Amino acid sequence: MLEIRDLHVKLSDEDKPIIKGLSLIVPKGEVHAVMGPNGSGKSTLAHVLAGRGGYEVTGGDILWNGESLLDLAPDVRAAKGVFLAFQYPMEIPGVAGLTFLRTAMNSVRKKRGLKELTTPEFIKVVREKGAKLNIDIDMLKRPVNVGFSGGEKKRAEILQMALLEPTLCVLDETDSGLDIDALKIVSDGVNALRSPERSMIVITHYQRLLNYIVPDRVHVLAAGVIHKSGGKELALELEKSGYAGYQTKAA
Amino acid sequence: MSNAVMPKLVVPAPKPLKTALERALADAFAGAYNTLPGSGWVARVRSDAMAWFEANGLPSRRVEEFKYTDLRERLKNGFAPAVAAPVEVPTTAEVDVALGPLARIAGPRLVFVDGVYSAELSRTSGLGDAVEQMPLAPLLRKAPGWLEGKFASGRLGEANALTSLNTAFMSDGLMIKIKPGRRAEQPVMVVNVRASAMAGMVVTRNIVALEPGSAMTLVEAFVVLPTVTSTVTSTMLTSVLTDVTIADGASLDHIKCALDGASSHLSSWIAKVGANASYRAFQLTAGQLTANPGLARHDISVEMAGANSKLDISGAFLARGTQHIDTTLVVDHTVPHCESRELFKGVLDGRARGVFQGKIIVRPGADKTDGKQMARALLLSEDAEFDSKPELEIYADDVVCGHGATAAALDDNLMFYCRSRGIPEAEARTLLIEAFIGDAIDKVEDEAVRSTLMDVSRVWLSQS
Repeated sequence: MLEIRDLHVKLSDEDKPIIKGLSLIVPKGEVHAVMGPNGSGKSTLAHVLAGRGGYEVTGGDILWNGESLLDLAPDVRAAKGVFLAFQYPMEIPGVAGLTFLRTAMNSVRKKRGLKELTTPEFIKVVREKGAKLNIDIDMLKRPVNVGFSGGEKKRAEILQMALLEPTLCVLDETDSGLDIDALKIVSDGVNALRSPERSMIVITHYQRLLNYIVPDRVHVLAAGVIHKSGGKELALELEKSGYAGYQTKAA
Repeated sequence: MSNAVMPKLVVPAPKPLKTALERALADAFAGAYNTLPGSGWVARVRSDAMAWFEANGLPSRRVEEFKYTDLRERLKNGFAPAVAAPVEVPTTAEVDVALGPLARIAGPRLVFVDGVYSAELSRTSGLGDAVEQMPLAPLLRKAPGWLEGKFASGRLGEANALTSLNTAFMSDGLMIKIKPGRRAEQPVMVVNVRASAMAGMVVTRNIVALEPGSAMTLVEAFVVLPTVTSTVTSTMLTSVLTDVTIADGASLDHIKCALDGASSHLSSWIAKVGANASYRAFQLTAGQLTANPGLARHDISVEMAGANSKLDISGAFLARGTQHIDTTLVVDHTVPHCESRELFKGVLDGRARGVFQGKIIVRPGADKTDGKQMARALLLSEDAEFDSKPELEIYADDVVCGHGATAAALDDNLMFYCRSRGIPEAEARTLLIEAFIGDAIDKVEDEAVRSTLMDVSRVWLSQS
């Protein structure tokens, strides 16, 4: 279970707070959507969960299965099951996709006390899980994400997620820049990972994604706090009325 | 010509050589003159070169080509020039240890110990009959007339301190030729190993000639025996000049790996490329981890003298501590329809300094020239420094030339991306630095040599 308690966050080199007392509980096996206008703190929340530098937590805590994540390095969090699917996946020239995946998988396996994969085992699992996302192995011989289209990058993110077998998935605007076909493939990939053991946070600006990844709960984030929570119908309501009301409230 | 009369050494009118080192070099020349190999024209070529040096001395930083590399300052400390002589010849096993991953390069190996050819350590089997080679020292002693042209005044361009000192003091080296239309089957490796802890100069002259339509991969390695590594200092001077001629339709892959980082390494590659030919040059310089400042200056000068030829000069330089690695190249396009590519990557840590100066000249009439240059440095510390100076001199029409340079720290965003996938910090750093260097090393076509150079870089990285 993920429990965010009265979280306060600012940028390290600025005084202005971004997240101002956010509390949120995502039980095991549930998918929660976090929606909100631009600048509401959605991406900051995603990055702080994954442990990105440049932010300072000035109050509150993030507990994952009862343990605080705040002092843990990003790679340690990853080993504990945290995975962030980036809004803008990075290109890494010079590092072949397969090398990257294998290094990442074996790093987390080692920390989880599992034995490292042999080459045939690795290739087999990549082939299997890649096929479901329409990613063939030749694509992964190329440097990580270099020359990939927006859709290919997002599919590659979901493949990484599938391979690293996280228990807390944070998807940061995974729908941005996707056409309807790519959206479908990516959503199918995410839905395939839904399980009673896995919690997911789906961050999005638009309701559209939630037609494909149907959430258990929807939270509205504006000006750094959760303003309203509800069932999946809350997303439809937002689609109609927009965020205007929340922005006024926040100001 | 071996019994030619030694011309009398004409000492030029005393010039105000400014530094103790310059005076010491002049004295060393006078002392060694009678023992350096060669008489007749060889002796004359030597004293002409020394006369140039005495008239001009070491370049100050006011000389544009040495703006970022102060040879006078870098070489001044306690330098006692003496022509080094091998005290004892190491074993092949010891040389292999010094070579590290480079020892894996199979095929022929020509070994020079402290500048002197060692038949014992060399492996000439596998050279095949396409290759003709012999050490330079016996040739210089014979001073045959046919060789004189290689030393004709102006043949290697305008004289400078590096070429003049090399010509004055050259003691041995490799003369290698590939027969017309033939291909050397395996990469030929020339191993230059420092085996003596004694300070002094090792001065090597290589002459490489590819006859029309021939091809070769040549690797020059510079290493230090582990037993003397700790005593290597900048007072150990290595001067090497490799004179390359690539005839029409010939192809040379020329690789250098300089691992003698704590010493002073002054190198000139001077190449002339004919028509429909290919020259692929690559230099990897990796300073060793010692407290001593090391200096490496690599001059590369290429004349594209025949149409429709391709040139690729690339390299990687890895420095830490107070090491200083300077690559200065001049590509001279004198004919149309040639292509030149340059990609240099540097990794600089500690207070190390990297310098890249790249000049592309496109002469009148060298139309349709396509030249591109890129130099990038990764700065791993606040105190590391990279100076890059591209220069384009274009006098022709319809030319495509471009250059770029960057210096930056490791990208925080990339680091976070790797770590968010579970890769620990140290491993993520290594992965990204290797990728950065690998981009340049990928230019090396021979797979065995390429993977070896990658491993040399990994060894360097693992020492940090």
